[in-house]
Amino acid sequence: MSWEGLTRMTKIEVVLDGEHAPAVRDLFLQSGATGYTAVDGVSGFGHRGYHQGRLLFNDRASLSLLITVVPEDRVEGIVEGILRIIEDVHGVLFVTEVHVSRPEYFLH
Amino acid sequence: MISAEGEIARDVAVRRSRLLADVARASSIIAPLWPLTSFVAVNPLNGLQHLTFDDAAAFVRRWLGARTHLSLAAFRSRYDRGLISDADLRRAIIETDPLLQTSPSIIVGRQSLTPVDVIRLDLLYGPEFPDSPRVASAIERRDPPAPATVLRSLDDLVTGWCALYADEAEVPWAMPGRERGFYRAWRQLAPYDPRVRKLVGTAGLSWLRQLPPRAEDALDSALSVLGVSEEQHVDELRAQLARLPGWAGYARWREEWAPPDHPARPFRLVEILAVKMALEAAVVCGRPSELTSHSSSEDLVDRTWLERRAESLLHLLSASEANPRLVASVWAVLERVPHHQRHAIWLLAQEGSFRERLLAVTRGDERTRPTARPSVQAVFCMDVRSEGLRRHLETVAPYETFGFAGFFAVPMLWQPLGAVRAEPRSPVILQPSMAVAEVAHSSPGDAEAYLTWQRLWQAARESFHAAKGSLGSPFVLAETAGWLAGPLAAIRTLRPASYARFHGLFSFTRPPVTSPALDLDSADGANPTFETLTLAAEALLSTIGLTQRFARLVMLCGHRSDTVNNPHAASLECGACGGAPGGASARVATATLNAPQVRAELESRGIHIPADTWFVAAEHETVTDRVVLLDRHTVPATHAGALLELERRLAEASTRLVQERGHRLPGGARGLRNRGEDWGQTRPELGLAGNAALVIGPRSITGGVNLACRAFLHSYDPHNDSDGRALETILTGPLVVAHWISAQYYFSSVDPEVFGAGDKMLHNPVGGVGVVLGERGDLRVGLPQQSVSIGDRSLHEPLRLLVLVEAPLERTEAVIARNPQLADLVRGRWITLVGRSHPGESWSIRSSAGTWSTCWPADDTVDYSAASLEVV
Repeated sequence: MSWEGLTRMTKIEVVLDGEHAPAVRDLFLQSGATGYTAVDGVSGFGHRGYHQGRLLFNDRASLSLLITVVPEDRVEGIVEGILRIIEDVHGVLFVTEVHVSRPEYFLH
Repeated sequence: MISAEGEIARDVAVRRSRLLADVARASSIIAPLWPLTSFVAVNPLNGLQHLTFDDAAAFVRRWLGARTHLSLAAFRSRYDRGLISDADLRRAIIETDPLLQTSPSIIVGRQSLTPVDVIRLDLLYGPEFPDSPRVASAIERRDPPAPATVLRSLDDLVTGWCALYADEAEVPWAMPGRERGFYRAWRQLAPYDPRVRKLVGTAGLSWLRQLPPRAEDALDSALSVLGVSEEQHVDELRAQLARLPGWAGYARWREEWAPPDHPARPFRLVEILAVKMALEAAVVCGRPSELTSHSSSEDLVDRTWLERRAESLLHLLSASEANPRLVASVWAVLERVPHHQRHAIWLLAQEGSFRERLLAVTRGDERTRPTARPSVQAVFCMDVRSEGLRRHLETVAPYETFGFAGFFAVPMLWQPLGAVRAEPRSPVILQPSMAVAEVAHSSPGDAEAYLTWQRLWQAARESFHAAKGSLGSPFVLAETAGWLAGPLAAIRTLRPASYARFHGLFSFTRPPVTSPALDLDSADGANPTFETLTLAAEALLSTIGLTQRFARLVMLCGHRSDTVNNPHAASLECGACGGAPGGASARVATATLNAPQVRAELESRGIHIPADTWFVAAEHETVTDRVVLLDRHTVPATHAGALLELERRLAEASTRLVQERGHRLPGGARGLRNRGEDWGQTRPELGLAGNAALVIGPRSITGGVNLACRAFLHSYDPHNDSDGRALETILTGPLVVAHWISAQYYFSSVDPEVFGAGDKMLHNPVGGVGVVLGERGDLRVGLPQQSVSIGDRSLHEPLRLLVLVEAPLERTEAVIARNPQLADLVRGRWITLVGRSHPGESWSIRSSAGTWSTCWPADDTVDYSAASLEVV
């Protein structure tokens, strides 16, 4: 498949306990990401077993998925920071190459 | 190919990012601190809940220099008063180290002592050791050291700037340039501050002048100047935060918990650290010194303490220290229990004793479910203060009562009539998902007249306070208003009740009749939507098991606390409403449940509410224990008689509760109802002091039992929850709120210096966000001294929350398994979980490993069934 018209960038995804999501969101923005997507109440199965999704009376106890897309020169800073944050707390990081339309959204 | 400039930029970005991550990691040592206006209880060790309680306690002892348990002397005093028995101690020792039970006994003279007895004697008579100091920061470890007075002055400067910047009360002289953020405003001001010049000298001032515009870069430079390597960043930042837990906690709240549109100024932890450490770096600038390593003498200290414990024990046993075999045996046993663990064993013993007393009074018999229709059902907040009111109400009338989190499943932004801004009415762990405004029903003219008067009155008050705060106007004010203010202050001091009545005379217009605005007919665009409200109503009823057999009158009762001159007033309000009064939540929930459309929808979901059932809202004022019925105008005439009868019974129950509470407060029941109006009263009510347990299950577990306002009661019907969703909701929501409250009271009691807010008499509110003791210093965290003690007498027994759940054990286990944060609480012994599947069964305690075992009495010759649960 051709990626003509699209620009290569890097997608960074983090899944961690919702209470640590603010630190990751701040890190994204302070490290040059122009935005992010946050999905709270994420459910799934992992090394700690099953994680319940959205809870009726608690927004903080479930997992959050945070996604950002950045150009190559901003990847290292964000990845280094996230790796440090999840040294002390449960969480996983995924880094993938993606192709995006409207690259200017991710640059400025 | 990346240019050299690009490489440098990338390196800078990586360093910044790593530093931000290090700040986030270090911040786990402090808890978020909510502003006074919405003060809510929080576990001060909130960031460490992934550790076990014991590990987290060791961590804060090291980094905060905090006490995490009562002193041995305090535990021993409880032992002397019979609150902890030898049997409780033995059980706690065996629970801590089961191998001690099977280890060989020690022969001393003619007596044989089991290892358990050796530890018990050490617990009872062994020496107590001083608290270890907290870990020093880099500047404190320099050789030659920076003078302590300079460091204190620097801290005072930083806290003073924080107050100027964060001020929400709009003092006349705010920090210039604060719209650019704390660090940038400070960077511009600091070089002109003569106090800074005096402390850091000329070289330091020059260094401060060249600080970069970004806080992260300034912090990075300061760390370098102070000689902190990158591997030591987290430790150093943690040591720094430990010195400023108040303002740092406030910044954590602002960054992590405040809604994005909150009017409080943005405040970042990295900025506080940058300012504090830049000043410290400026102090050491140009002064050659060496950085000494962290103290590594802990092993040596432990060894010394062990020696002293062994000496003390041998002395107690009148045994000769010359017998090397005996000495070695004693050492071997004592070594198994490090000196700090002795406190943990005492705590376990005390918790075991309380658990036994509570379980002994809970009802264990299998009972038939009631079938007759009660005349009134009343749903109260789960708050411990509701326990007393429920108990007395059930005594004076054949009513059924329930407990639920006091926001009644309505997480909303509530906008009272005439208010400029809506305020959250939900637990802080839950974001409001709906917005509801209060609207007037009277004629528009009446409402307008009332609002106009309110605005005028408010403007007059603000003008008066503004005049007091300005530079010259207080002199004029004293001349013009002093003749009135002086006598009023005297009346307010000597006759608070008369002053309150006098104050009431200024309400020239009656408040209009109002109700919450709910648009249940709108197909779309409404907030809250019909579906959201119906879901809330369904969640409320199904969680507590009130899905059939509805009474003619069902009361939903929130609570509030009316006090004056009390910066910590919000700590007495409803925690489930985010530190706000709960009446509005009850009003919205009752309006929803009375709506025919909602009832029709609930019917389709299996909840049939009879046509003659009416829901009425109420509010329990916890200083006076009076209950006021709300929105009476909505109650149909057919229910007027029942309403009057309910009011009469509530008044009766209230009087009885006041008499009961009078025993717990100095001054007794007389004058108890006037405490909230007294501006000199530092203890208007007991609040949640004494809280120790959360009971989840039907009222039949605790009905008729005096729990001395020590238990949160959350109703739950296990027969109505086959998929465990209701239980999951309680264990992940209300349980967390109860645990935070319990932990806040626990730590404010065991170390009032570090985790408490200190003496109210010395409180000075700062910037509308917190209090300091005296004229300067860091914001104080936690609860005031008056909330947990009266002089030397404790009002609170510091215990970790005991949670009783009546539900099939496998259901409880399944909920724990799919909620890792709940599992952390149980596994880490932050809470003790006790459960039973059916009413007739014995209670079982869940171990950290996930097994359930029957709760056994430490001493089966003692009958606790008539024991009092009062804090003594």
